[in-house]
Amino acid sequence: MILRRFFVTVFAATLLVGACGGDPPPPPPPPPGPDMDSLQRYNDSVAAAAEEARRRAEEEAAARRAEEARQRAIREARETLMEMVNFAYDESEIEAEAAGILRAKVAILRASPQVQLRIEGHADERGSTEYNLALGNRRAESVRQFLTGFGLAENRFAIVSFGESRPMVQASNEQAWAQNRRAEFVITAGMNAINPPSN
Amino acid sequence: MVNGTTMTISTTVGEVNLEKTTVRRRAGWLAAAVVVMAGGVVAPGHLTAQDELPGVELGLVYANSYRPALALQPFSGSFGGEAVASQVEAIVGRDLRYSDRFEVLDSLPAGLVGSEVDYSLWDRLGAVWLVTGEVEGTGDGYVLVLELHDVVYGEVRERGRFRLPNSLDSDFRMSVHRTSDEVVTWATGDPGMAASRIVFTMGNSQGGKEVYAIDSDGENLRQVTDYGDLVESPTWSPDARRVAFTSWKSGVPRIYETDLYGGNERMLPAARGDGDYISPTYHPDGNVLAFSVLGSNAQSGIFTYDLERDCCLSYLSGGPWYDLSPTYSPDGRWLAFNTLRFGTAVPQVMMMPAEGGSAETLSPYEYGSGGFYAAPDWSPTGDLVAFHGRIDRRGRYHILVANLEDGGRVLRQLTSEGNNEAPSWAPDGRHLVFVGERRWGHGLMVVDIATGNVRSLLSGQRVGLPDWSPALPPT
Repeated sequence: MILRRFFVTVFAATLLVGACGGDPPPPPPPPPGPDMDSLQRYNDSVAAAAEEARRRAEEEAAARRAEEARQRAIREARETLMEMVNFAYDESEIEAEAAGILRAKVAILRASPQVQLRIEGHADERGSTEYNLALGNRRAESVRQFLTGFGLAENRFAIVSFGESRPMVQASNEQAWAQNRRAEFVITAGMNAINPPSN
Repeated sequence: MVNGTTMTISTTVGEVNLEKTTVRRRAGWLAAAVVVMAGGVVAPGHLTAQDELPGVELGLVYANSYRPALALQPFSGSFGGEAVASQVEAIVGRDLRYSDRFEVLDSLPAGLVGSEVDYSLWDRLGAVWLVTGEVEGTGDGYVLVLELHDVVYGEVRERGRFRLPNSLDSDFRMSVHRTSDEVVTWATGDPGMAASRIVFTMGNSQGGKEVYAIDSDGENLRQVTDYGDLVESPTWSPDARRVAFTSWKSGVPRIYETDLYGGNERMLPAARGDGDYISPTYHPDGNVLAFSVLGSNAQSGIFTYDLERDCCLSYLSGGPWYDLSPTYSPDGRWLAFNTLRFGTAVPQVMMMPAEGGSAETLSPYEYGSGGFYAAPDWSPTGDLVAFHGRIDRRGRYHILVANLEDGGRVLRQLTSEGNNEAPSWAPDGRHLVFVGERRWGHGLMVVDIATGNVRSLLSGQRVGLPDWSPALPPT
């Protein structure tokens, strides 16, 4: 048993001597061992990057939300600007509901000084075609006077009448007529400079 | 046997036309009957109106005008005129019916073709007048020889030779209409209206409106403008060569004038500045256009513009209210117009001197009555102004005629059903075209103010603001 171990050792030594060619072997490289500091730093940096990314994403999301909210507010402002108002039969006076709609426009127009509007007056089909042109003009005019009454410059508003020729609803009944008696609004300048009303 | 005679295309056309006229004639009788019946039904209401408006008479009152019976002997042809003889006869026959001055006899016995006139036969059939016609081919067209016979006296009363162009010529039908008007004048001494056209607006499926024209007999519908936009208020020049109208093609309403033959077009300068320029009408001299400018400006209202000198806007009437829809008297000395000076919801018809000045009311304005009167048109005879209106806030719109010799305060109501708008006088001063709204839809209709006969000119279309031309001269 001992003898056998001896042989194996000699054999192994012979192999080693043959391999090294007789020179002394260089010191072996230090084995890779756990370096706790660098690992910590590595982990910290990864976490920091992740945190940064999350923060950035959150910031971006917040900015996006803010931008979306702003765009929505602008869109709503644009829709408010374009919301039509209705009139009573053969009348051009601004009624309570129409006044509410127009006041909302006033707030936006004050915040958006570059915006200009064309006010289009319309009438229902009853009466007379030419009379209805006059009525549409008078409706558009009374809307303009309502708006300029809040201190908005008159040159921001152009008016035009279409009379009975551009009905919202092509029908001959009370409901259709009520919808057709209206003023419509077209944004003719400052489409990209609409600001929501400042609170 | 009848089929044997309808083999050629022109004859077939003639047959179709005759059938149509028979149907329309029946419709006309029906309408007349309805008018008479409705007159009875409406009476209590109109008495109430009379009570409310002293001095104003509204009602369907037609004088029992005598309409002599007139027959047409089938027209003959020679030298190639055979091909169009029955077509010419059909046009003339229908024109004479539409003149509403005769009881035109139809369903005549067969076998009347021939140049010989058997007065005793026509007398037995009840005819007072007889029209005979012979169409001779001339190579490049035809000559129509028309004779008006007085059946009672058994003699030819009038005779005329009229040149007609080739039947494919665009003026062919109008040339025949001119001969119909001659027959009317021979028999009555008054002008006819067959040789005329009506311009009007018609909506299309894109939501736009264009100007169209149609002959007085409902034929030859054609489009005049093609802007793909909105137009209103087409109006004829006195020489019938130009049409003025309002168009939105620049974005806002402006007045344009187009030459129907040369195709030239011009826009009236917006000399008053901003505002809606609408409702043009020609002065009878053809050189001045009156129109209205709508706007908040203190000087909105009715203006005139000198077309010939292309200048010289002048302000006639208006103010913080709106005056619109002017129409000249045939002598050019007066203007009738529509005004909102009594209130937005109660437009009234007034008249004033053509240079402006104090105006008087033609419509029966009564404070608080809610009466609505609009769209005046001055008759070519000068004594009548037609407009439409309703006497209270809830009523329907009817065609009304004010007689200026009665101070304008006696109104005659010419329609009795549906809503009726925008009357315009025919050159004979006796017919009006208007927009009728019925349960079945809208259409252009013609009413004879003497008999109350109503006929349909164009049905089932979104039509508006018709303007009847003067008598059309040969082109």
